[in-house]
Amino acid sequence: MSAPIEVLGSGAAATTATERPVVDAADLDVWLTRDHLESHVLRGVDLQIAPGEIVGLVGESGSGKTVLGMSLLRLLPEGARPRVEGRIEVDGIDMLAAPEEALRELRRHRLGAVFQDPMTSLDPTMRIGGQLREVAESDGDAIELLGAVGVPEPKRRLRAFPHELSGGLRQRVMIAMAIAGEPRLIVADEPTTALDVTVQAQILDLLSKLCRDLGCSLLLVTHDLAVAAQIAQRVVVLYGGRIAEVAPTAALLEHPRHPYSAALLRSRLDVEMDVTRPLPTLHGEPPDPRDLPVGCPFAPRCEFARPDCEAALPSLDPGPGPGRFDACIRSEEIDLRPKRVELEPWVAPLVDPQAEDALVAAAVQVDAGSSSFWRRGSTVKILNGVDLRIAAGECVALVGESGCGKTTLVKAVAGLVETSGGALDVGDKSPQMVFQDAGSSLTPWLTSRELVEERLRSCGVPRAQRAERVEAVFAQVGLPAWAVDARPAQLSGGQRQRVAIARAIVAPPKLLLCDEPTSALDVSVAAGVLNLIGRLRRELGMAILFVTHDIAVARLIADRVAVMYLGRIVESGPATTVIADPVHPYTKALISSLPGSGGRIKLKGSPPSLFDPPSGCAFHPRCSHAREECATRPPRIVAVGDSRHEVDCVLAEEQG
Amino acid sequence: MAAIEPVLRSGASLSRPRRWRLVRHAPLSDKLALGMLALITLLALLGPTLAPHDPLAAVGPPSHPPSWQYPLGTDEVGRDMFSRVLCGLQSTWLAALAVIVGGVLIGGAIGLVAGATGGWVDTVLMRITDVFLALPASILAIAVVAAIGPSLFHTLLAVSILWWPYYARLVRAEIRSLAARPHIEAARLAGVGWGGRLWRHLLPGAVPTAVVAASLDVANLVVLLAGLSFLGLGAQPPAPELGSMTATGLSSLLTSWWIPVMPAIAIFLLSLIANTAGDSIRDLMDRS
Ligand code: SF4
Ligand code: SF4
Repeated sequence: MSAPIEVLGSGAAATTATERPVVDAADLDVWLTRDHLESHVLRGVDLQIAPGEIVGLVGESGSGKTVLGMSLLRLLPEGARPRVEGRIEVDGIDMLAAPEEALRELRRHRLGAVFQDPMTSLDPTMRIGGQLREVAESDGDAIELLGAVGVPEPKRRLRAFPHELSGGLRQRVMIAMAIAGEPRLIVADEPTTALDVTVQAQILDLLSKLCRDLGCSLLLVTHDLAVAAQIAQRVVVLYGGRIAEVAPTAALLEHPRHPYSAALLRSRLDVEMDVTRPLPTLHGEPPDPRDLPVGCPFAPRCEFARPDCEAALPSLDPGPGPGRFDACIRSEEIDLRPKRVELEPWVAPLVDPQAEDALVAAAVQVDAGSSSFWRRGSTVKILNGVDLRIAAGECVALVGESGCGKTTLVKAVAGLVETSGGALDVGDKSPQMVFQDAGSSLTPWLTSRELVEERLRSCGVPRAQRAERVEAVFAQVGLPAWAVDARPAQLSGGQRQRVAIARAIVAPPKLLLCDEPTSALDVSVAAGVLNLIGRLRRELGMAILFVTHDIAVARLIADRVAVMYLGRIVESGPATTVIADPVHPYTKALISSLPGSGGRIKLKGSPPSLFDPPSGCAFHPRCSHAREECATRPPRIVAVGDSRHEVDCVLAEEQG
Repeated sequence: MAAIEPVLRSGASLSRPRRWRLVRHAPLSDKLALGMLALITLLALLGPTLAPHDPLAAVGPPSHPPSWQYPLGTDEVGRDMFSRVLCGLQSTWLAALAVIVGGVLIGGAIGLVAGATGGWVDTVLMRITDVFLALPASILAIAVVAAIGPSLFHTLLAVSILWWPYYARLVRAEIRSLAARPHIEAARLAGVGWGGRLWRHLLPGAVPTAVVAASLDVANLVVLLAGLSFLGLGAQPPAPELGSMTATGLSSLLTSWWIPVMPAIAIFLLSLIANTAGDSIRDLMDRS
């Protein structure tokens, strides 16, 4: 099966041996100190980037990918007392020996940096114009720069403060600052992770276009192989502070040579995969950088590991094909071509439309008042008449971009947010919830046992039975026995989420609410948590309301999908139908932004502000099918086809 | 069921906690400071038992310089300075601790309720706290004691009334930031009641901050209490109290220097130890 990822970057300047590389790092070792413990974050890394080349640096948390990016800029956090050995040359300058002045000059004119959260790198008290003028010569140049990165009305934006811009626009401003000095190299660290899917694609396109136009190189640091694959010509996979594999993008996708790259490819979600069985997962967690194995760092998780893998660090050796390297001693003998691992299919979930519904929401409204004692008035409708029904045992995915109100809806169902209108009926058993950030949803000073027992106590389970129930539920969610007496700080991200799930299901609720439970987890860990939720739902017959921004996750986990935009559900229906055959223009755009879905529909602009909702259909300023009436009259929700497929759009009104 | 198997295997491979290693490997200076703190508290508790002589009775020649028999000399009426300093240590040290504990308890309770409830309760409690904070503590203590009559107990009462607002503010700020974390929402969904959330899910989070602030505060209090006694507003002579001993002995500074200087050194050591121990406690809490 060919990999369903489009390679957009039109093979610009390929590596030519005669040209001197922009980045030449060799045998790079970096140690950082945190909490009085020194960890060896990078262990003998070699990296070359040719002029004009886009390289994707892919790795999970703790792999050292950010440290590598920062080392190239010589911007390692001083607080962590970095110790660097080896050689880094950027644009012919020795970054380890050069005096601080030369480095500053180099960063200003020859290097650019783009970070995940532009809010932390932009000065919140300074207008955009002021910040740009620090790098651009004149106002005229600043406007030109903003124009080049696709900021609409650049002149007006010069007077804006960073917080007045949307996330996507802020990232564009960051990129404008990064290219101001006509850089030779841009390091972009997770530039799209904090952005909505529809905006993500725009930023990636922009980055690759700028590199082509300016002839500069780009190091795209990301945890998401799919993001790297979209624009990078070459991908470097980092694991446990070592390079696991280097390969041209297409070659890597087609035939990974390192078992870790193969596992990453397998755990990637796309809209074609088989939803009838669990996802293939990688067991275990990425290594702790404070405690790295002496041998191959992947050995504890590798299905091909042999005793000699653990004896010494495998070296990065050239493989067959141009530009291919891998650090696996068995790469010659094993065949890792992506294939479907046939796991036993799921049993069909027990959806019972006859039984009482797990959730009936009718015309739910939630207002957030910005009125205070002296300034009364402007309320914002966060939810604007939401209807949603979840049958007993059914799983509904709530999909939408940030700010669309999906989290508010879940919190309203949980009773954590007051509704200001409409009706919510969750039956007699209160729903339980799993939060996005498991770490902060667990009380830091209580052990897992205390947290779970507390739930049992409030359900009236006698003390004598509690210990037994706790141990049983920990086994059920796949946690090791020692985790029972651990505090959250002693657990990894995936384990914390399992503890949170254990607490939610130890007394099985009728309805489980999941608010992006996997979006903060590493790809290889997230798949395991998704499988867990899928299995528990079948074992316990729970209904689930699953909030996600990721269509592929929704398709995998849910029976039905509801798409939200600006406080309304614009389309809902059976997952497979909605995703294969969307009706609402917004759903179409969302689905087309997934890698591998064919032609991408590019949406204009970014989601509008709740404070200033558009008239009529809230989507009309971005809709390519909008007509005159859309701006004046809100559409009606109508059913299209059969089996509860409902759409909130004039186009559907005509069809239905 | 094959579906379960990969999930079960994806449990943990991370090594076990290393929290205690941090504490055990605490720098020697921290261990030393905490050791001194324990020692001085023990001395204060056992002071009267260890004292070789009755601190209130004249047991030797007046104004006798330090010697083998009277290590710190005797005062104007022949009382043993060593015994008096030991007993003075007790009243000063334990008084400071009592005020701190009182302040932390009162302030902590008010801060907890204000921070966890929010709304008008918070506003009212914090405005009251602000009023107390705005008053200059030492001057007010002097006024209160002057009004109800000087005695150690009255001084403690006056200082306690003034000492809590600081902790109320501190604890409230901590609780407010904790209350905004999702773990409170999660506890509420798990069915934990208001009291349980306060007690189990909020309060323990504010304890480290309060303990650190309190341990750094002990030194200030020792000095304040000694200062008040020095002004004649604390324990009344001849009761042994380090501040009042320094004050009454001051007149003999030129003739018998040991009478005011010995208790003054004790005050200095006490605040030094309290301060370094406070620093160490903060470092240890930061690290764990
Ligand atoms: S070296 Fe061994 S353990 Fe490491 S990836 Fe290759 S086969 Fe697996
Ligand atoms: S109602 Fe009009 S503007 Fe809204 S989605 Fe449909 S066609 Fe587009």
